[in-house]
Amino acid sequence: MALPKRIIKETERLLAEPVPGISAVPHEDNLRYFDVEIHGPSQSPYEGEVHFAVRYRWRGIFKLELFLPDDYPMTPPKIRFLTKIFHPNVDKLGRICLDVLKNNWSPALQIRTILLSIQALLGAPNPDDPLAPDVAKSWKENEQAAIATAREWTQKHAVPN
Amino acid sequence: MPPLNAPEEGVPAAGLASWQQDNSSTSYASYAPNMLSELPELGPLPETPTSSPPAPGPLLSPPASFMRTTRPRRFSNISISSVAATVGSETQSACVGSTRDLTGRSPVLLINYQELQYESEVDKSLECPICRTPFHAPITTKPCGHTFCSECLLRAHQLRPVCPIDRRPLDVERDFCKARVIHDQLDRLRVKCPSQGCGHVCARELLAVHYERYCEYTPVLCPDNSCDLWIARQDAAPDKGCLHKYTPCQYCSKQVMKAGLEEHYDRECSGNTVKCAQCDSSVVQHRMENHVANDCPSTVVLCKWNKYGCGKSAPRHDVQAHEKKPCIYQAIGRLAQDREDDRLIISELKVRLSAAEGRLRVAEQEKTERRERKRRQAGNTNNTMPPFVPDLNLSNSPRAAASYNNGTLDSPEDYMLAQFERMETQMEDLRKNIHELDGLHSMRLLNDTMRLNEQIAELGSKVGVIGMHTTWLMNVQRQSRGQQRAGGVVGSPLSSLASSSGGPGTTNSATGSVTNAARNAPDNEGGRYYNSSLPLRRNSDGRGENPPRL
Repeated sequence: MALPKRIIKETERLLAEPVPGISAVPHEDNLRYFDVEIHGPSQSPYEGEVHFAVRYRWRGIFKLELFLPDDYPMTPPKIRFLTKIFHPNVDKLGRICLDVLKNNWSPALQIRTILLSIQALLGAPNPDDPLAPDVAKSWKENEQAAIATAREWTQKHAVPN
Repeated sequence: MPPLNAPEEGVPAAGLASWQQDNSSTSYASYAPNMLSELPELGPLPETPTSSPPAPGPLLSPPASFMRTTRPRRFSNISISSVAATVGSETQSACVGSTRDLTGRSPVLLINYQELQYESEVDKSLECPICRTPFHAPITTKPCGHTFCSECLLRAHQLRPVCPIDRRPLDVERDFCKARVIHDQLDRLRVKCPSQGCGHVCARELLAVHYERYCEYTPVLCPDNSCDLWIARQDAAPDKGCLHKYTPCQYCSKQVMKAGLEEHYDRECSGNTVKCAQCDSSVVQHRMENHVANDCPSTVVLCKWNKYGCGKSAPRHDVQAHEKKPCIYQAIGRLAQDREDDRLIISELKVRLSAAEGRLRVAEQEKTERRERKRRQAGNTNNTMPPFVPDLNLSNSPRAAASYNNGTLDSPEDYMLAQFERMETQMEDLRKNIHELDGLHSMRLLNDTMRLNEQIAELGSKVGVIGMHTTWLMNVQRQSRGQQRAGGVVGSPLSSLASSSGGPGTTNSATGSVTNAARNAPDNEGGRYYNSSLPLRRNSDGRGENPPRL
């Protein structure tokens, strides 16, 4: 089956004018499969280590995989974190709890808008609608400790090589 | 905190397997291999049919071009008749209804409007937010005013009955309406014909007609009833039979469809190339004739201008270089070519001219015949009356004369009547015009006289004032004369005053006379001027208060 024009156009635009802090590159052998990298949003536990001279000593970079199903854009893309992350809305398999990826998906949304939503989710965790109950629980009981853990995990897993 | 069993980076497969738990129907593990086989023309594929041994008969996957043509048959199953009912778009009928071509031979593969290639880049505002291609049969939502292709919106609406942009609930019957304004803009877009091999470019509204009726490359259903593949219309003649049967290639013995033979020879057949005896390059065998006749640089050919005297014959690349610059026959050749072109044009023009002349002659003949007939008719109806010829004064108006000559009126009486009626109407018009003019004139006259009357009245009042002044002066004079007679003073006070002041005579003399008068008549108003130290005012200043009561 040929690739729909929409996917070709979206890919071209993602490569030509990428969203700041987000990169999505399609696989050569399967143009529906994307390697995604999202920078942790600033002033969040996922941003990395800030340095006074260079802006970041290191930056939290999270890898995701994105797949466009056959009937995209009628169905939402499938997205999953590949990098381990301590976040109440991401479970240990990397699945993401985000309304626009489920019920609130609309065919007018695009890859870039979805990736922006995920970046925003990193900046604003929502422990009231958790996918990882234990993470959410710790987040609710002691937010400072949870944020510290998230920072620690970011340093451990999301540091670029 | 339990250790999370997350997959390692860069090894998606490990995590993918576990993900299948809840995404059993749509897991990546099953997607990726499917996609590999389903993308025959996109991206470099490792397993192309060239390397694999030929499978027998129907097991072999058809070449890329057939994949492309077979695909949209699924697309055609999506019924948008419900929109056609609610929206009533004309263009939809083009893509839905007419699946039979002009001859009724076989159904035509439907146009997939999303895959069309446009001649120039289309404005972003004309793109559907769902398919990101220029709208096809656009629908606008009534409550929120967003526009989509009808097909996109209906598919999205089936999944969730809300607006895809702002999630406002929508109802098919009530909230959809046709977007007429952009319809015209879309119709004007220049688009390339989607048939492979056809380079036709036209306005989008004309595409359906070209594609369904005239394009020789439009995929139509194979004439063989047992075959359900598509084939270009020019190859779909029933006497050719089904071209989708696999036959072994005569060069490489691979199983190939007849319809794809040319492509196979050109692209993938390995046993088909031969070495050209002259230029040593390898050429596809069935293109050899063409190569020798047109391309091969070593074949000996004659100079292009040999008709005009150049006798040069050499291998093609030499001749090409020779033709370009040094051949002295080039100038003559060009001239001769131009002359031949001109001659062709002239002969064509001659043919056209003779045809036009013939038509003119026929027309003239008909005209004279008609005139004759009419004259005869006129003679038959009234023999006593001389044959009617439109007279000078009657044929003054060319239109009337023409109408008579064209034979719209049957007899001179009718003609006269028509003339009479026409005159009457003209008279009526003239009368109306005169009435209008009359009204206009009287109005204008009224306006002018009004102004004049006012001026006259003003002048009259001025004259009255002057009259009053003179009588007053006369009175003053009479009184002063009476005084002189009584006082025995000799000489006119007016003349003495005028000589002493030397100023403007009348006013000063008037004030002088006033002072004189005031001395004698202290109850007169003028007396105040004399008694006060104020300078004497001229009579004209105090016109309103000064005039004496007579």
